[in-house]
Amino acid sequence: MTTVSTPLRPGGRATVVRAGGYSIRLRHRTLAAILGSLAALVAIAMWSAATGSTALGLERVWAALIGEGTKGDEFILWTLRLPRLATGLAVGACMGLAGALFQNLTRNALGSPDILGLTQGATSGALIAIVLTDAGLQVTAAFAAIGALATGMLIWSLTRGGDPSGYRLVLVGIGVAAILAGINGYLLTRTTIVDAFRAVYWLTGDLSGRDWEQARTVAFVLAAGVLAIVLLSRGLDALRLGEATATGLGVGVTGTRVVALVVASVLTAGAVAVSGPLAFVALAAPHIAARLTGSTRSFTVAAIIGALIVTAADAVAVAGIGDRQLPTGVVTGVVGGAYLIWLLIAHRKKGVMS
Amino acid sequence: MTASQSPLQVQDATIGYGRVAISEGLNVDVPEGEFTVILGPNACGKSTLLKALARMLKPTAGHVLLDGKDIHSQPTRAVARRLGLLPQSPVAPDGITVADLVARGRYPHQGILRQWSHRDEEVVAEAMAATDITELAGRGVDELSGGQRQRVWIAMVLAQQTPLLLLDEPTTFLDITHQIEVLDLCAKLHREGRTLVAVLHDLNQAARYATHLIAMRDGAVVAEGAPAEIVTAETVHRVFDLPCRIIDDPETGTPLVIPKALAPVAAVA
Repeated sequence: MTTVSTPLRPGGRATVVRAGGYSIRLRHRTLAAILGSLAALVAIAMWSAATGSTALGLERVWAALIGEGTKGDEFILWTLRLPRLATGLAVGACMGLAGALFQNLTRNALGSPDILGLTQGATSGALIAIVLTDAGLQVTAAFAAIGALATGMLIWSLTRGGDPSGYRLVLVGIGVAAILAGINGYLLTRTTIVDAFRAVYWLTGDLSGRDWEQARTVAFVLAAGVLAIVLLSRGLDALRLGEATATGLGVGVTGTRVVALVVASVLTAGAVAVSGPLAFVALAAPHIAARLTGSTRSFTVAAIIGALIVTAADAVAVAGIGDRQLPTGVVTGVVGGAYLIWLLIAHRKKGVMS
Repeated sequence: MTASQSPLQVQDATIGYGRVAISEGLNVDVPEGEFTVILGPNACGKSTLLKALARMLKPTAGHVLLDGKDIHSQPTRAVARRLGLLPQSPVAPDGITVADLVARGRYPHQGILRQWSHRDEEVVAEAMAATDITELAGRGVDELSGGQRQRVWIAMVLAQQTPLLLLDEPTTFLDITHQIEVLDLCAKLHREGRTLVAVLHDLNQAARYATHLIAMRDGAVVAEGAPAEIVTAETVHRVFDLPCRIIDDPETGTPLVIPKALAPVAAVA
């Protein structure tokens, strides 16, 4: 195996790892962003595991982790905190990847499941479950997933054969989101006060009380999404040069687009079903990743940043205000909204956003 | 002309957008090793023909053949190793550098586990040298002038290493100096042995640079052949409705179209 540092591409200094006929190119800046954000993620995860209503401290966390802690500590860690942490990590990564896919597909900085109506579709599914059936969390989650997937398919069928720039996808998505928001409002007015409270709580998005079963489900969705994105990423990258150029380079344009939309919908459905719609994670994560790496190509960094945002927001939510815990979605909404405004201001100054 | 001499052919093709057919029963053979220019008035179907040749449009009837086989039946990546395309006004992602953009031309030769070979590196360097943009390698594409940018895109297509190149209006939106620069580059690529097909607007530039002309009107081929043979006052009138005289270009001896003055020009005192 040989590694070569190539100065040919100064815009992205990179190391190429070669073995036999195989070669993998690693941009230095992307590598630094991956390592940096992973380190931050580990730090926040450790802090999150160590704090909460019962402060454990890192030593007791470690002891419980390797099976040498007290029964109580082990229960707190393995039954209460780690499943919630794992769910948050997987949900955040799914949302980060879904957002990156949608931004790539639409070639639009606002392309995200929140803007395109998938989140609203998941909400419709969840509301139908809550209002029409006396459903528990599992059924609600399943209905939310179906809602998100159905919305994704609806948007695709409405944009087929249309404007290749992805602009049309954004406009259709905004229209679908508006219709679904209306339906959701109607569903809420048709419900009892108890159901309405449950619904609003779900709508806010929260990670409290998540168990290993749910963590496993999202982790599975995440793994499938990662595999698909690995296979898709080169084609998506070429598509950023426009449909005509991508065709010329030998990308199956329509196939790549359909598969990417399906994968993004599945990732959104999996995440939203388990956590509820955590506002702005999918929108903000790819932008932060793009800023760190100087490239919109890095799905890895978008996933890590998504996980980082959700984990950090959840840690803040658990710490709460005074002695009251907050729903996770409240924190991501406030932080994400502030970020979006900052992004728009920075955009106006720089005049560049991709 | 036999099939073996034409790497790219259109056979009895109906081409159009949606249900609107631009060309019906179209037959075109792109001759191997020539610099073919397709020309004609606006909306004559010349860009549509190029899109069909580039497999961006699928004929609703008939076929486009690459090396004698239907282009849509061949794997698109395999086609991309035979046929390069420079689309009309292509868009570069924000902030991409020249070297990065040129490297994208290697796509059809790469894979997930073959991302950047020694060969890729050599070919990209050669493509940048051939288009005279080596010094620009680290610059952002959005900082460049229109002419430089067009050379970068041509370099990207060259990095694809295809014997066939399709160029859709490569000189549009460029000033005259940069138009000539791009056309000189095309002529050089042709001399090096590539087969070129370009859509051009300027009749005189087409007559000067092309070795084979295809003149279209209303979706049909009106005249086809070497510029010296087909650029006549009569053909120009048939294709463009333009009364004109043809003289020899004093620089190259190729035909030069001089439009007739419709009204007497006021004498300058």
